Amino acid sequence: MAEISLRGLTKRFGNVVAVNELTLTFASGELVALLGPSGCGKTTTLRMIAGFETPSHGRVLLGDRDVTEAPPEKRSCGMVFQNYALFPHLTVHQNIAFGLEMQGVRRADIDRMVAEILDKVGLGGLGKRYPRQLSGGQQQRTALARALVINPSVLLLDEPLANLDAKLREEMRFYIRSLQREFHITTLYVTHDQSEALVLADRVAVLMDGVLQQFDAPEIVYRRPRTARVASFIGLTNLIPGRVAARAGDDVVLETSIGRLRARGPEDLGGGMEAVLSIRPENIELGRREAAVAGDGVNRLRGIIRERIFLGSFFDYRVDVGAGTLLRVQGGVHAVHQMADEVTVAFDASSGWTLPGGRG
Amino acid sequence: MPAAAPGPAGASPGGRISGQALLILPALGLMLVFFVAPYLNLLLISVFTPSHQAPYLRVFTLANYGHIVHDPFTWQVVWRSLWLGVVTTGLSVVLAYPLAYHLARTPRRMKGLFMILVISPLLVGVLIRTYGWMILLQDTGLINQLLHAVGMRRAPLMYNQTGVLIGLVHVFIPFMVLSLAGSIQGIDPELELEARSLGAGAWRTFWRVTFPLSLPGLAAGTILVFVLAISSYVIPSLLGGFTVITVPILVVRTITELFNWPGGSAFALLFFVITMLLVWCYIRLIGRVTRPVT
Repeated sequence: MAEISLRGLTKRFGNVVAVNELTLTFASGELVALLGPSGCGKTTTLRMIAGFETPSHGRVLLGDRDVTEAPPEKRSCGMVFQNYALFPHLTVHQNIAFGLEMQGVRRADIDRMVAEILDKVGLGGLGKRYPRQLSGGQQQRTALARALVINPSVLLLDEPLANLDAKLREEMRFYIRSLQREFHITTLYVTHDQSEALVLADRVAVLMDGVLQQFDAPEIVYRRPRTARVASFIGLTNLIPGRVAARAGDDVVLETSIGRLRARGPEDLGGGMEAVLSIRPENIELGRREAAVAGDGVNRLRGIIRERIFLGSFFDYRVDVGAGTLLRVQGGVHAVHQMADEVTVAFDASSGWTLPGGRG
Repeated sequence: MPAAAPGPAGASPGGRISGQALLILPALGLMLVFFVAPYLNLLLISVFTPSHQAPYLRVFTLANYGHIVHDPFTWQVVWRSLWLGVVTTGLSVVLAYPLAYHLARTPRRMKGLFMILVISPLLVGVLIRTYGWMILLQDTGLINQLLHAVGMRRAPLMYNQTGVLIGLVHVFIPFMVLSLAGSIQGIDPELELEARSLGAGAWRTFWRVTFPLSLPGLAAGTILVFVLAISSYVIPSLLGGFTVITVPILVVRTITELFNWPGGSAFALLFFVITMLLVWCYIRLIGRVTRPVT
């Protein structure tokens, strides 16, 4: 177990910069999700940590050890690929024993350790099967067991749940989380699925176009994104462009095409700057037309329901608030609004977040 | 053709199968006319009596087989042919494997070019190619002139087994490369990366992961090259200069120089049976090793 430290890590393929000056430190025992759209450089980063790819420049440190030049077999990284990469010619037992054999562990100890970890991942008694005789979930557990049994200093997971069906994926999230806690192993989890990252990770590193956008706890990344791109990549949000009219402390007043709106914002956002207000659909409340009473710290607008979709536990509305702006609102099933209803749209200043504008 | 389309009443499962069976008829017919029939003819001739007036007399005898089996020269030639086949196959594997690996892992846009380079030995007729080798290998040939120029002794490269091996390996190596490359291409490169991250160096990764998974291709390639090498006629006769007598050479001589059609036929059939037995044993052996893969 060790912390992972990336210092100015850069990878170029020809003229394309896949990863650009990435500097990040993961604490020992931490689970970090490396999140981004496909082609953002997250897999390249993982491959550089594992030693499958040589950085153009920058360093990779595992604990105090600089492993930038070390071959993969000298790094002690447990690796789980998206399609598990189980050796098809070896049984489950032989797959898991592979790494131990490479370490020169005694036969009797290998058998004992493999049996132990098989029990731990709930595959007891399946050691004699071949990978193709296992279900997707069982293959996934085998891959995890094989990576963990060698007691690696870090665990690297590359989209490990992408090949499972939706229900199993949900289950395996919690399973991986508890396994990681039990082994208390520093883990890098590469995914493009933001909900996976939010559920699993201690901290989320958002990577776009090879550049680190934000590295924070899931809640902060979700509620206080640093850029409009991060805000719209992680979960659903409404982005309303405007200009900072006034600010005091955390409070920001924004002049927008649909009126003055109150929100919170980061410190480096000064008066007069172009900005974008991000407000999540679940933080907006719809009320009856008559209930429109403006209060302090609450934004109120008038709107007309343009679209309504039933999604089981809630309704998904699109509300026209004028000036060509459609707001997406998600509301409970107990207060139902009809199409073309005139409604009030309300959200708390504390749930709106101001982002630097100009782009996106 | 009621079996071809599944009708409401007459489409029995048996009818479907016979419909599919029709598809193998063209190939089956070709094999029967050009392979099975000649072999049956050979079998027939091999039990006739040799004669000096006609190719053979239609009088049944097993003496042809008796002569061959009791002649030590027969076994010497059989042994040499098999030996040449094994060495050709072995050399092809050693030379072809790295090439096949490279080919399998080459990006798609370069693959076509490499493929053409690999099969290029097959694009020139065997006779022309063999004469080309003779120009290079003979005692006053290019290689020996070079050796002489740098003050080394001339090496006998032709009219011996060395020359035959060089020729055979050169011709048949494409079959080995293509068989191996097909198999290696099917191995997910991530398996090798995974092995590395589990602590196996490049060499151990090869022997524990890549090589065992490429066995089906190796089996196909070795059988192809072996069978082609032991039945080759032009290369051993030209590059061996009739000092390296192989089974095909001896069979042709028996028939065309000694006019002993039944004797030649019997020898050809005996060698056919030996080869079939060897290949069958080999397939069984490989099958046992590779069962988990396939």
